[in-house]
Amino acid sequence: MLTVSCGSTEQLDLFFNAKSVAIYGASTSQNSVGQAIIQNFIKPQYTGKVYAINPKYDQVLGVPCFPSLQDIKEPIDLVVVAVPARITPRVFEDIAAKGVKAAIIISGGFSETGPAGAQLEDEVVAIAKKHEIRVIGPNCVGVIDTHSHIDTFFLPEYRCGRPRPSNVANISLVSQSGAFAAAISDWTAELGLGISKLISLGNKCDVDDDDLLCFLAEDSTTQVICYYTEGYDSRKGRTFFDTAKDVTPQKPILVVKSGRGQRAKAAASSHTGSLAGSDRIADAAYRQAGVIRVDNFEHMFDMAKALAMQPPAKGDRVLMITNGGGLGVMTTDALEALGLAIPHPSKELEDRFHQSLPSYCAVGNPIDVVGDTDASRYDIVFREAIESGEYDMFVVGMLLQTPSLGMDITNVIANYQRQSDLPFIVVSMGGGFTTKAGEIMELMGVPTYATGEKAALAAKGLVQYGQIKYGDKFNKTIDSDKP
Amino acid sequence: MKESKKIFKTALEEGRTFVLENEAKDIMKAYGIPIPPYNTAVTADEAVTKSKEIGFPVVLKILSKDILHKSDAGGVKINLKNDDDVRKAFNAIMENAKKYGQEKGISVDLSRGVFISAFADMGTEMIVGVTKDPQFGHALMTGLGGIFVEVLKDVSFRLIPFNEVDAREMLNELKAYKILEGIRGEAPRDVDALVNVMLSVSKMIEENPEITELDCNPTFVYEKGKGVLVVDARILISDSE
Repeated sequence: MLTVSCGSTEQLDLFFNAKSVAIYGASTSQNSVGQAIIQNFIKPQYTGKVYAINPKYDQVLGVPCFPSLQDIKEPIDLVVVAVPARITPRVFEDIAAKGVKAAIIISGGFSETGPAGAQLEDEVVAIAKKHEIRVIGPNCVGVIDTHSHIDTFFLPEYRCGRPRPSNVANISLVSQSGAFAAAISDWTAELGLGISKLISLGNKCDVDDDDLLCFLAEDSTTQVICYYTEGYDSRKGRTFFDTAKDVTPQKPILVVKSGRGQRAKAAASSHTGSLAGSDRIADAAYRQAGVIRVDNFEHMFDMAKALAMQPPAKGDRVLMITNGGGLGVMTTDALEALGLAIPHPSKELEDRFHQSLPSYCAVGNPIDVVGDTDASRYDIVFREAIESGEYDMFVVGMLLQTPSLGMDITNVIANYQRQSDLPFIVVSMGGGFTTKAGEIMELMGVPTYATGEKAALAAKGLVQYGQIKYGDKFNKTIDSDKP
Repeated sequence: MKESKKIFKTALEEGRTFVLENEAKDIMKAYGIPIPPYNTAVTADEAVTKSKEIGFPVVLKILSKDILHKSDAGGVKINLKNDDDVRKAFNAIMENAKKYGQEKGISVDLSRGVFISAFADMGTEMIVGVTKDPQFGHALMTGLGGIFVEVLKDVSFRLIPFNEVDAREMLNELKAYKILEGIRGEAPRDVDALVNVMLSVSKMIEENPEITELDCNPTFVYEKGKGVLVVDARILISDSE
């Protein structure tokens, strides 16, 4: 039986924190991969040294260009390889001779194309193994690190936006597909989601899911680990399971795995050369290892945002408070459908609410503090409900179309969240003003969603991870094991 | 464990990747999995004596390295109630096996005779099975057994090895769990005993990774406190590992 242990992940650090990078195949021709990559590294945000390698030029976009790595005097931490597949073995001899320990092969034309390509890949792997060079790729877009500004995505920024790190908490994503990695870069940049690292693995000739799982588990700038995968190589599902089992009590792992259907299975296996295993077994393995499987990227990032910013729930009892009845009902419907408990406040708690709130507020779950409220009624509800210990989590409807609710509501929410250390989720539907308010709320550390359904899914994520993290100690009041 | 290794060695030497029913049940027994009383017999007289020891009614099944699908070869006779039934069944099974061999153009080995088993009382039919997935390795499956497996596909999986919490979760995931809990006045089933079978199978696979497929189907689950019985057991092994 295979045993897994996280070895040293120090060498992998070079991919994200290289102080000097050489671009093999740097080019002066417009719209070429070799030029797009060098453009990323000449942005002022990247503070390391950058070199171009191409015998044709003396400089590329002002970056000094050399015929080979050995012509550079200074040491090199990372080489990005963007040359035709057939010359990569020669490039790797040069990498080995220079003593570089990390390389990303962007180029395609390897095992994904057939036996000839596979042979080329084997040659490269053999050189890398012999000289202890870690390799990401081939056939990938490489990595983005939002802190160090290492960025090998060969996609111009005006088409493919780059995400930024958040001061609150960050997500990292590992993707088998380069195109998805790029789309997610663009999309999360638009959403303003805090991202630490995006990694596209391509053919996984060396660095694989397990290596990155070990690395990201230790990475202090990653609070939630996300994966997109189409399947695993032979036995690699098992090693991922074994590694994930050790990581999930420390950090949440979310997975989108495609290839559920028969047709998709065939497409995925010809796409990546991975074996078509039973999706139901993969599903069971994720549950068993405490990995949260989600259906799609939208669900993934709704959950990941909450998991990054909030503590996991210690139980499944949710209180919904709202200043709009409809939002309350829709959100509790969604919470219920996801198997969360929405218990009515106890008689004592109900009495306390009634003592402090106007008589026309609807006390229950959801509790409706109605449209003319200001932040003070929320304050009362949070104070009494937290004091009662009857709830493990709060979902807060914050409709800002009413003029009476001031922006001080965000302070009230953030303060109670911090004091209680209970998870809070805000749902705030609306347009421009609401969106801005949501951004402010998130700067204060509380994740905010545009619909009740999205908020409910986020709440579900915090409950699911709470169950994984706390096990027997998790206060489960309703049975929701049915998948 | 030694026992199972010996059985697998013999099977592979005979060119089989399946183990015979008495062997499968010997292995089950060694792991503490409850099975109805059984024995083997090579002559009709022996079959009668052994059947009496077990107690009627009994089931007779052909035991041969050359026959995997016993029913197809006319090698299964059930609900045998007395000496005469057993004697007739034994002879018929031998005849059928010879005929099956002639049709297939092989000479069927009859030296192992038949497998005799007590006829178990009907319980809630469950399946406990094992498959080996190329990506994830061995996984255990459970669900409603018999014909329901194929129709309803109400099954759940866990990778092997797993613990008791996992086993209970697996059962809880089934739509059929309500049946095990007892519905409409039916007594609850012996879930603890079923969980023990699942854990024993997990241990068996851990110690014998050469098993590629295993089926305890049906596994009869009786009322709480009355246990379970694995009625039919099938084990396939790989010759490389």
